Amino acid sequence: MKHTTNRRYGGWGVLFLLSEWDLSGSEKGALRLRVVLYAVQKESGYRAIFSISWDMDKLYWPGRALRMVRIREAVPLGYADRVCRRLEEIWGRHDGAQRANWTEEFKHAVRAVQAEIGQGEPGNAELEEVILTGAEGLAANVRLREAARTAGVRLAGRSLLQDEAAQLLDGAAAPSEQGMGALAALQLAALNGALQLTAAVAPKPPAPPRRGLRFLAERLRPARLLGRAAMPRRPQELLCRRCGSGRDKLRRTNCAACGQACAYCEACLTMGRSRECGLLIIGAPAVPTAGYASHRREASSPSSLVERWGLSPAQGDASAQALAFLSGPAPDRDSLHESSFLLWAVTGAGKTEMIFPLLEHVLARGGRALVATPRRDVVLELAPRLAKAFPDYERAVLYGGSTDRWGDGALTIATTHQLLRFQEAFDLVLIDELDAFPYHNDPMLHYAADKCRKRNGFTVLLSATPPAHLQRAVSRKRLACARVPARFHGYPLPVPRSLVIPPVYRILGGKTLPEKLVKVLRHSVRRGAQIFLFVPYVKQVDPFVHLLRNCASQLGLEPDAIAGTSSQDAERSGKVVSFREQTIKLLVTTTILERGVTIPKSDVFILDANNPLFDSASLVQMAGRAGRSAADPFGLVFYAAPVWTESQRRAIKQIRNMNSLAKRKGFLRTTIR
Amino acid sequence: MPLTLGKWFAPSKSVCPICGRDAARTAGSGVIPVRHPQPRQALASLCGLCLRAIPWIAYPVCLVCGRAESCEDCVRRKIRSYTISRCAVRYTEMMKDWLALYKYRGNEGVETVLAAILAFAYERLCEAANSEFHAVTSVPLAPERLRERGFNQAERLAIRLAEWYGLSYRPMLHRLRHTEKQSLKSRLGRVVDMRGNFAADHSALFPGNILLLDDVYTTGSTLDECARVLKQAAEANESLRVYGLLWARS
Repeated sequence: MKHTTNRRYGGWGVLFLLSEWDLSGSEKGALRLRVVLYAVQKESGYRAIFSISWDMDKLYWPGRALRMVRIREAVPLGYADRVCRRLEEIWGRHDGAQRANWTEEFKHAVRAVQAEIGQGEPGNAELEEVILTGAEGLAANVRLREAARTAGVRLAGRSLLQDEAAQLLDGAAAPSEQGMGALAALQLAALNGALQLTAAVAPKPPAPPRRGLRFLAERLRPARLLGRAAMPRRPQELLCRRCGSGRDKLRRTNCAACGQACAYCEACLTMGRSRECGLLIIGAPAVPTAGYASHRREASSPSSLVERWGLSPAQGDASAQALAFLSGPAPDRDSLHESSFLLWAVTGAGKTEMIFPLLEHVLARGGRALVATPRRDVVLELAPRLAKAFPDYERAVLYGGSTDRWGDGALTIATTHQLLRFQEAFDLVLIDELDAFPYHNDPMLHYAADKCRKRNGFTVLLSATPPAHLQRAVSRKRLACARVPARFHGYPLPVPRSLVIPPVYRILGGKTLPEKLVKVLRHSVRRGAQIFLFVPYVKQVDPFVHLLRNCASQLGLEPDAIAGTSSQDAERSGKVVSFREQTIKLLVTTTILERGVTIPKSDVFILDANNPLFDSASLVQMAGRAGRSAADPFGLVFYAAPVWTESQRRAIKQIRNMNSLAKRKGFLRTTIR
Repeated sequence: MPLTLGKWFAPSKSVCPICGRDAARTAGSGVIPVRHPQPRQALASLCGLCLRAIPWIAYPVCLVCGRAESCEDCVRRKIRSYTISRCAVRYTEMMKDWLALYKYRGNEGVETVLAAILAFAYERLCEAANSEFHAVTSVPLAPERLRERGFNQAERLAIRLAEWYGLSYRPMLHRLRHTEKQSLKSRLGRVVDMRGNFAADHSALFPGNILLLDDVYTTGSTLDECARVLKQAAEANESLRVYGLLWARS
């Protein structure tokens, strides 16, 4: 049985259905996974290239190259990519020098890669001389050159899989003249240097250490001293070039498309399958409009911002600090802390208004800005507000299932997953709610957010509850940060109170609510506030709603005014709407509603606040649901738990710290109504 | 491989291959209705919620096609080329998602789990057929589709099953035409469209009881057509019986 599978997925030698694989044939197949590998001798040096459109390359090189050889058989893309990288390391080093046996080196590299992967019979690398004729072919084909130019422009700042690129270019570039398709346009753009074509999963590019002992060791390695090309010491690890995932996320399976065991990335599967024999198209860094860097403005003062954008003093102060950071020296890309700025704004501080001056700063100079957030509903909520604030700039709104998937705009609003499709595209990357699921603790999305920023761009992080490592970086002065300690209405944050009641499972076991809880709930109902009641687990929501409905008369509520929702609830958005419309007075929920829902007059009860699912960040977020409007700034927050834990203590400490900072800076209203 | 001491001391973390939740937290209370240890192991890697949600067809009502409800198709069909077939699960929305995870999204990590689910149907079929199987084969994909997807799901499942139960897998069929996706067509359209779609590979043919695998049974037209082609290709004096084994029955 093993034997039969091997026959199917054989080495290069056995081509499955040869006529369909032939590259010089029609270009109809959407996914072509074998490519032609060739090398050219130019006057300036040597180059190994793979081609996804061989006819195109035969037209391109006459007149530009002295000699050209190709591997007779079409090879899988992953292979070809490795050979090209290996030769680039060797040939790129000695620019201009004559190499007598470069064809031998080419052959040798192919064999070495074969041996590295451990498949295919060695000695299979037969070279074939290509006769360079017909120099006028390409010059005559104006449409193709035009298509290649369009492709280069449209794909700038992107990193796309082949079918994504095809969708993007659909309509923009469709040169069907002389049987050359979109692949030919892409190949020509790549030869012109407007694009980079690579395998989507490829060995990690070797990055020598920049400092420290290992840097010294690298310098002193014998290979270096002898002037030979440095060989990697261990087999190179594979890397998904789109999402940055390493070995633990890659899975190697038999692939019928390239006929070999090739790796695919499991981390970014939701955005299309990225695999070793699949093509990834990386555009050149997005070009700024002319005069971007030269045009510098003087840093705005807080008072001018307050007037222009209607900011509160606390907001204006932080925005001015952030603006000063953006006008500062261009950062070194490799250090995260030089290029990032943290805006630490308490819940209800009005973060969205604060980003307007930053966006304007970049957009007015012709740069590209991105507002990214992990949550789709935030994207949908932000888009109309930004459209209103910046009507003159072209905008693109991207999220899973959005209609406009390939829009280009100066201002892009996207979920963090969409960032995988960009590379070096934005001058300013704003990440809202960076501690929210799924961005928090996902290395893939962090990689994407880092990758989509231009080399000299900035990142601004927004959060009410930054994760511990960022807080630490701030306190050690390694990360620039501006705090917004007061809400826009100028009242302090409500400080949570503790309420000692039995755990939820015990309450659910009985038939009545604890007397203490009834008392505070009744008080909230009487003062006309709506109530958020958080429980840790989804499975507790419905039983608790049932219990509350039974006790509704005790609380002074109609049973219908009590509802519950969770992440498993299909009618969640409907219930949130009726909670906003005040038809639901008391909503039992889980952490799913810890952010985003703003109710003017509301009180917050967190049951089982000692549960480890509620960390201090989510306790702060949930407490932030209360006292959002100027009409009712002193909402009530209760941490109801049998015991007092470190998370609760830290959450309260964080809230108190912010309040005292606001008071010290004079951001709070002095007269209390 | 880097030596990570931390791993030895950290609690072992098992993630459910389907839903990605921590399997240890909800594991325990599901029943695994498969006897062979290897598929059992694969099913045990699921979290309790996913395992309990599998809609097994333990007692088929239609004893021909293995459907969980009474089945008019099998009554209506005059000539049937396959002997009987068994299906592992009902094709509910959830099972559709699971199969889509594998087939369309290309998450080959769930392959073992799907094969283990199919093992349930295999064990039921052995009981029902009361005979042994001489070879396993699968419904082929059109070359274009194969290249697009990178693998043939039925073939992969068949190979996995053959490994576990010590059968021999042989590709015996070719697909001649590239048809539109079956899921987009009407009942009559499917039956008519299937004609002349497959060809048997005479050299690989094998007399005896053949197990034919596919992922979903909707009208049975694919299965029936494949069985017909196989029987036709067999020599007149050889007895060749085709049994169907399917992952899901809609």
